[in-house]
Amino acid sequence: MKKFNLLYKVSFALILLFSSVTLFSLNSCAPSKAVAAKSGVQLWSENCQRCHNTPSPATFSPEIWETVGLHMQTRALITDKEREKIVEFLKASR
Amino acid sequence: MFVSELHVAKINKKHMKPHNLLKKQLLLLTLLLSVITGLRAQTVPATIDSSIYDRLNYLEEQVNYHKSGDDHFMVVGLATFGFASNSTTNILNGVSTNSKTNSLGDADHFEFSPMFLWRHGKKFLMEFEPSFSNNGLGVNWADISYFAAPNLIIKAGYFVLPFGTYSKRQAAGWINKLATDPMGLSGVPTTDYGVEVSGGLPMGSMKMNYDFALTNGSQLNADGTLSGGNIVDNNNNKTLTGRLGILPFSNSSLELGVSGMFGKVGTPGMINERAKGNMYAFDLNYVKTFIPFLVNIKSQYNIVNVSKVDYVNPVDTTTTYSFDNHSTNAFVQFSIRPTGIQALHDLELAGRYTTYNTPVNSTWGSDQSSYSVGLNYWMSWRSVIRFTYEKYTGNSTASSVLNAYTGQTKSNTFYLQFSIQL
Repeated sequence: MKKFNLLYKVSFALILLFSSVTLFSLNSCAPSKAVAAKSGVQLWSENCQRCHNTPSPATFSPEIWETVGLHMQTRALITDKEREKIVEFLKASR
Repeated sequence: MFVSELHVAKINKKHMKPHNLLKKQLLLLTLLLSVITGLRAQTVPATIDSSIYDRLNYLEEQVNYHKSGDDHFMVVGLATFGFASNSTTNILNGVSTNSKTNSLGDADHFEFSPMFLWRHGKKFLMEFEPSFSNNGLGVNWADISYFAAPNLIIKAGYFVLPFGTYSKRQAAGWINKLATDPMGLSGVPTTDYGVEVSGGLPMGSMKMNYDFALTNGSQLNADGTLSGGNIVDNNNNKTLTGRLGILPFSNSSLELGVSGMFGKVGTPGMINERAKGNMYAFDLNYVKTFIPFLVNIKSQYNIVNVSKVDYVNPVDTTTTYSFDNHSTNAFVQFSIRPTGIQALHDLELAGRYTTYNTPVNSTWGSDQSSYSVGLNYWMSWRSVIRFTYEKYTGNSTASSVLNAYTGQTKSNTFYLQFSIQL
């Protein structure tokens, strides 16, 4: 039981930490200037490869990229701005 | 003075004659061309223009007919097919037995899963993925998402639970680095019916993401294992599952996550009705290019705690037994791909260590571990041929009293697998 109690405390502390950071970020929910200035191609190369290989822009039509962008946002939980920039890059680079 | 002017006039007259002739010829030619152009405009071009206009009208009608409105439908999907050669040795009470199998189709990992995505404008997305695998037809997910506000997605239906990241982000055959999934992940149900809120949040140079779901929850089975994905809840309590992720670096290379799943798992009226489940998961994902290599490290640690309750003894159903229902499973996976070396950039080397411990003195207790190594050849960004070798060791910790002890099992398996997403 001691092991469980320790685990419970550690988990509770981590959840509290994450919750605090979440609350903080909700209050000042904005990217830094450098992050906000990132281009679509940069975000594409950084975020897609977190799970899979970076996709070729030629794979889908612009209309389909919009759909894929929403689907990917539900999986990777990228921000709206990131999704918009990545999709615009993929549409423009076909 | 007068003589001189007269002389000049004569000279001019003499030289002007050819100019006048040229002028007349040009005028004649212009008239001729005008007549021809006029005639063409009234006869032959009229028929050409008419056919072009007809064609243009037809194309315009076609474009209008097919022009996208708010609804957009697409079909993608994945297929995984392969071959598995397995050799297993089991030692029980000093007696050793060997078995060998060779299977085309690689029964444990064959999958054919088309995915249907229907987008309505930019606010709604329906996702449906049926799947044919292991001789049966199932559904991986069927849900609808509403992009309610910036960085807020509300989802409802049958979806993958936000418990760790493997099931939601890495399990697809064309994404996975090895031919097999890490052991033990299915010890916690991965999909369920319910509602979910999720999103990503910018936070200066860092990012966060949140994912919380309220679902029917898991059901405690007669042997103490958990099953889920029930459309009718086995009790009146709902299960809360949530994950918080943080990406501390501005290049999103590292993500750390903590997940929890809390809910009642017992069934009213049954011997286990008071049972509750408290599950935790910790995950890590690090992907970064160190020229010329792309390095990929993934890890997840799951802890499953279920209240200690009595279970009906399968040997003598008039009696009960009990055990600490505590399981853990973890994996660490590493892969490296020389993306910056032209001759080798399609190859990737991967390795993984997995451990899975299930409750001692239950009917399914064991301490298991496996080592996997693999070489991948990426034919495109979404199609891969994988060679994976996996060495497995399992020591039963199940109850001898319940006739569940299975001794020690060792196996070696070679996989050749092809996976594609289209």
